[in-house]
Amino acid sequence: MTTDPILKVENLSLTIENKNILEGISFEIKPEEVLAIIGPNGSGKSMLLKTLVGINIPTSGTITWDQKTKIGYLPQRFQVDHYLPMTVEEFLSLKRNPQYSLNEVFSLTKIQKEWRTKNLAHLSSGQLQKVLLAWAVLDKPTILLFDEPMENVDIGGQASIYELLHELQTTLHVALIIVSHDLNLVYRYADEVLCLNQRMLCYGEPHHALTEQKIKELFDTHSLFHHTHQS
Amino acid sequence: MTEYFIYTLTSAAFVAIASGLIGSFLVLKKMTLMSDALSHVALPGIALGILFQFEPILGGLAFLFLSIFLVWGIENKTKLATESITGVLFVTALAVGSLLISQNELLEAFFGNVESISPAQLAIQTVIALGIIVVVVRNFKPLILVSIAPDLSYSEKISRVKTELLLLVLIALTISIGIGFVGVLLMSALSIIPAVTARNLSHNLKTYVFWSVIIAVVSLLGGIIVSHTTGIMNSGIATVLINSFFFLISLFRIKK
Repeated sequence: MTTDPILKVENLSLTIENKNILEGISFEIKPEEVLAIIGPNGSGKSMLLKTLVGINIPTSGTITWDQKTKIGYLPQRFQVDHYLPMTVEEFLSLKRNPQYSLNEVFSLTKIQKEWRTKNLAHLSSGQLQKVLLAWAVLDKPTILLFDEPMENVDIGGQASIYELLHELQTTLHVALIIVSHDLNLVYRYADEVLCLNQRMLCYGEPHHALTEQKIKELFDTHSLFHHTHQS
Repeated sequence: MTEYFIYTLTSAAFVAIASGLIGSFLVLKKMTLMSDALSHVALPGIALGILFQFEPILGGLAFLFLSIFLVWGIENKTKLATESITGVLFVTALAVGSLLISQNELLEAFFGNVESISPAQLAIQTVIALGIIVVVVRNFKPLILVSIAPDLSYSEKISRVKTELLLLVLIALTISIGIGFVGVLLMSALSIIPAVTARNLSHNLKTYVFWSVIIAVVSLLGGIIVSHTTGIMNSGIATVLINSFFFLISLFRIKK
């Protein structure tokens, strides 16, 4: 089956204040595909996602989104100030074109109804991430961009968010780009993997693209499969 | 109560609603000190208005916009933070403005004097206040989103730059309509104190914005009435004192 890609990135480079952040990145993603972007800290993963969303403007190269694509973006950092007076319901009502009711999106993302009137600042980081996911799903996106948080999320919370993402991906038929530094996840869920360390070190199906040599090159470390969440 | 005084109070109510609304964004976006400093920049414009006998509010407005433009220009040219540049501009403006007007008029410009506001100024203020209220209500969601989570605005196809510029323009307009009542030095009494007090009293957005507006209206009208009836202090000073009193009370009712 040949389907047109919903996103095509060609020879993308990003320079910020004379510092090369990304160099010559090319890949594409088709409907309902899962792409994992992996790489060590500071390798440009989050920056790549931010560039795809339009927060950074690429220095050269092209990013072509299919016109019908609707993006749901979950940034790595979503800090809620402890003095922000806003309930979960109020936050979600800021979404411009919701396609689901709050009840629907709550059941999709497994959020308890009682959270509705909870203050955002009172949520744990794991709960906040789920609310963010609800936010991203609310307007029926065709692709979700998930930037893995590096710290502050308990491992239990982290496992369930990936299960949830996986479930949503199959029930809502969305494509998914996950930024991660967890190799286990890649083998479990991803159709394609892109190894990033400023430049593209590998790209393809995980079992072919992720050779031991590549992994060594990428992380330059011996603690490969130990996915600690330290920065 | 004369008809003119009722007219003044009506105008003040609209000005306070606009200030309370904008103040709630300033607190969320942590721009309170920046806007406070920005209000001082209006002084040379007001001074020019007094000197050359045109409406001081128009001079103030011109200088506010000029300074926003300058802050943006200098920010791009140097690498200084917005607040640092505003800091430089505001003392310069204060010094230049003080040079231009007499001591009596300076006190009025600093602390506000409701008695010296002309009918034309009242009319201009009311129209601008109504404009601010309409624009905020119509753009409420994007303004809030850009204030609390700018990164999320991109996938919503909300332009962060445009929305932030809109907010800056709204801040400048709000300052310009408030300084007649409370003066350039006490402008934060109209926007910042009501919003922080409201924050203490509320745990959701709706009540926060509601209380911010109510407190701004009550304290400004109260301040004007106290100043008008007793004659012992400027309207700006009375408004600040009432506001600070509300803030003090709110400390005992903090909602987390």
